[in-house]
Amino acid sequence: MKTLREFCVGDTFESSRAADRYRPIYYAAVSGDFNPIHIDREVAQLAGFPDAILQGMCTMAWLADVCTGYFGDPGRVRRFRVRFSRPVVVGDTVTFRGRCVSVEGPVVRVEVEAVNQRGEEVLKGASAEASFQE
Amino acid sequence: MAIDPRHVGRRYGPFRSTVCADRIRDFAVAVAGGVPGHFGATDGEPHPWSVDEEAAARSPYGALVAPPTFGVTFAMHPFALACTDPEIGIDLVRLLHAEQEFEYGAVVRPGDVLVTTGEVVEVRTKGALEFMTVRSETRNQSGAVVLVGRWTAVVRG
Repeated sequence: MKTLREFCVGDTFESSRAADRYRPIYYAAVSGDFNPIHIDREVAQLAGFPDAILQGMCTMAWLADVCTGYFGDPGRVRRFRVRFSRPVVVGDTVTFRGRCVSVEGPVVRVEVEAVNQRGEEVLKGASAEASFQE
Repeated sequence: MAIDPRHVGRRYGPFRSTVCADRIRDFAVAVAGGVPGHFGATDGEPHPWSVDEEAAARSPYGALVAPPTFGVTFAMHPFALACTDPEIGIDLVRLLHAEQEFEYGAVVRPGDVLVTTGEVVEVRTKGALEFMTVRSETRNQSGAVVLVGRWTAVVRG
């Protein structure tokens, strides 16, 4: 388990996740978000997208997984914040690149960039904080 | 049709949810690239304290803990209901999730009995876009806050 002094401003971490054809359906099953725009290509096309789009909350869950990997402990997380700036479409791969931007008292703060395979940002202003109060 | 700002203050809930170990595990597995119900088949790596009861038993929590965004399973109801509320009248085809913020209190574990309430706290317009924000608050069986969510939808013009 990591301790507070193992976190340094400037630390980086990176990981990718794939929105395969079934991901929005599996995510619907475990989250309860069955909005047809996520599971029915025709409805998504009616809304102006090329294919079904992944639930924003699944992209956020990926972000949380990647940050939890860095923090080391899911129970230490105190805050997450994201703006969904571009839909993740079935077939996309999202790469998360995180950086530790501050360690103040017991609070470690990271900012994360999330881009698709074309380098387009799918999240903006993504950040997370964890507290390592002993 | 613009979202009428008079809906600010509209409340939803309380909603009660009992946390189940299998649901935590399935959530973590599906997010990690696996198939719900098939632990061991993931491409990614779910945190062991959310999927492996033996590893979790040796953790500071002594049992499985929910991943940070598991709150979608128990805290999204007020937001989902506001988005589909006929009184508010949002066109679902034009609706997208725009922003999300979570603040965490106590960890969520199997057996927890959670109660969530929510309220429309903001309606605003930016050009052709309309935004609605719902704040949710979830407490556990001890009365401790486990999660405060701010859920923002955008309706495209």
